[in-house]
Amino acid sequence: MSDKAAITINLPREEVQQRWTSSAPEIDGDVTFKDAPGDRGTEIHVALGSGGGPIDKLRGTVPLAKAKDQLRRFKQQVETGEIPRSEGTPEGESVGRKFKQRPAQPLEESELEKAGVR
Amino acid sequence: MRANVWSGRNTVQVENVPDPKILNDRDAIVKITSTAICGSDLHLYDGYIPTMHKGDILGHEFMGEVVETGRGVSNLSVGDRVVVPFPIACGNCWACQHELYSVCENSNPNWGMAEKAFGHGTAGIFGYSHLTGGYAGGQAEFARVPYADVGPIKIEDDLPDEQVLFLSDIFPTGYMGAEMCDIKGGEVIAVFGAGPVGQFAIASAVMLGAEQVIAIDQYDYRLQMAVNKAGATATINFQEDADIVEQLKEMTGGRGPDAVIDAVGMESWHGHGAIAVMDRVKQAARLESDRGLALRDAILACRPGGIVSVIGVYGGLMDKFPTGAFMNKGLTIRTGQCHVQKYLRPLYEHVKNGDIDPSFVITHRLPLGEASNGYETFKHKQDECVKVVLKP
Repeated sequence: MSDKAAITINLPREEVQQRWTSSAPEIDGDVTFKDAPGDRGTEIHVALGSGGGPIDKLRGTVPLAKAKDQLRRFKQQVETGEIPRSEGTPEGESVGRKFKQRPAQPLEESELEKAGVR
Repeated sequence: MRANVWSGRNTVQVENVPDPKILNDRDAIVKITSTAICGSDLHLYDGYIPTMHKGDILGHEFMGEVVETGRGVSNLSVGDRVVVPFPIACGNCWACQHELYSVCENSNPNWGMAEKAFGHGTAGIFGYSHLTGGYAGGQAEFARVPYADVGPIKIEDDLPDEQVLFLSDIFPTGYMGAEMCDIKGGEVIAVFGAGPVGQFAIASAVMLGAEQVIAIDQYDYRLQMAVNKAGATATINFQEDADIVEQLKEMTGGRGPDAVIDAVGMESWHGHGAIAVMDRVKQAARLESDRGLALRDAILACRPGGIVSVIGVYGGLMDKFPTGAFMNKGLTIRTGQCHVQKYLRPLYEHVKNGDIDPSFVITHRLPLGEASNGYETFKHKQDECVKVVLKP
């Protein structure tokens, strides 16, 4: 079974491809770029080899879930210049956090480094 | 700092928590001077919005003074007085560039979670569950404001907090509800719910040129405010007569209102009969998250070819959606969490010009430490409560 994921970036294709090459997200699959219609930017399509088992799925270690995280983080980084962090998800979008949210209240100093803030 | 946290259904308490810190370059920290309890906070309080966690700081209507800025924030300086819009929006994505800020494509770090529930993620919202990002809220002494270079509006005159605080949510939300009705002059607009958002929807419909505005609620004191302060031209108290659809038709010569605004959302209470009972039972048993009485009646009452504008908050699924009426009458439904950033400046101008004084909805002022009492008073409509403002 082949798994697919896609995202649209609000930037021209040339720039998206350049940023993709320089940041090299860890995605193990075929990646294609395509102009989105109208003023909608650039589509990134990813086709992965295998889907992982049910345990992987729960753990968030299936390649598809990881690829979706990578695509979203890439979009956030190139569009806004940063990976948005909330108090509940201080590391930014990650499938593992979906099942283990922090309470939405400020981090302790000791948690900042672990979350990659400093 | 001290902050109001959710700790389970019908339980909030003010606790000591760590101070917020800058986590990203485009963040700012705001020392909060005024904050409010929103009707939509009651959906969290009542436990009907999924993905709340014990310890979550509530609150998405707040303003204050900038005390720290990240390296990427050049439009704000320490000491600036700001009102913070409730949706967090990056300003860079396609949605933000089309002024659809409440569906910002980047600001929700729990996008994957929201995607499962809604098909797509939506913008991050302060203090409003983990489905909208898991951001700490503003019923606190301080708050971290992400993308502070896009959201907050500087208040550069000496208008008191109470006149500008509601730019954060309820005034723009009510205004958007009225704007979605495509008012050109001469219309009859019906507004379900005369809570704070309903009051602003009524006032905005009047400002935009509606000829008649009918306020619908079960509390006379709220209907009186709708007439005396917001400018409603007629009222329906559904405790006196629950058949709202027939009353609206009768009041409009059988036509039905040209547009109907749902400023109630998922916990509507009116109506009796089998469907109302079914809704209450199903919602209590968690088989249905959204009671849809107001929305159903809005669809049934609206004149054929008219507009149903939904600004009341829904969280999941409702049963018995009147698809037949909706389709055959050729209705348009417009919806959304408010794109507050789009409305901040024009509505701030209206306040500055004296066209409207949004503080008319405030009935209760409490210190932050009494937040819990504020929630109870607001929820049970005690003491003729319409709007509670908290002072940290």
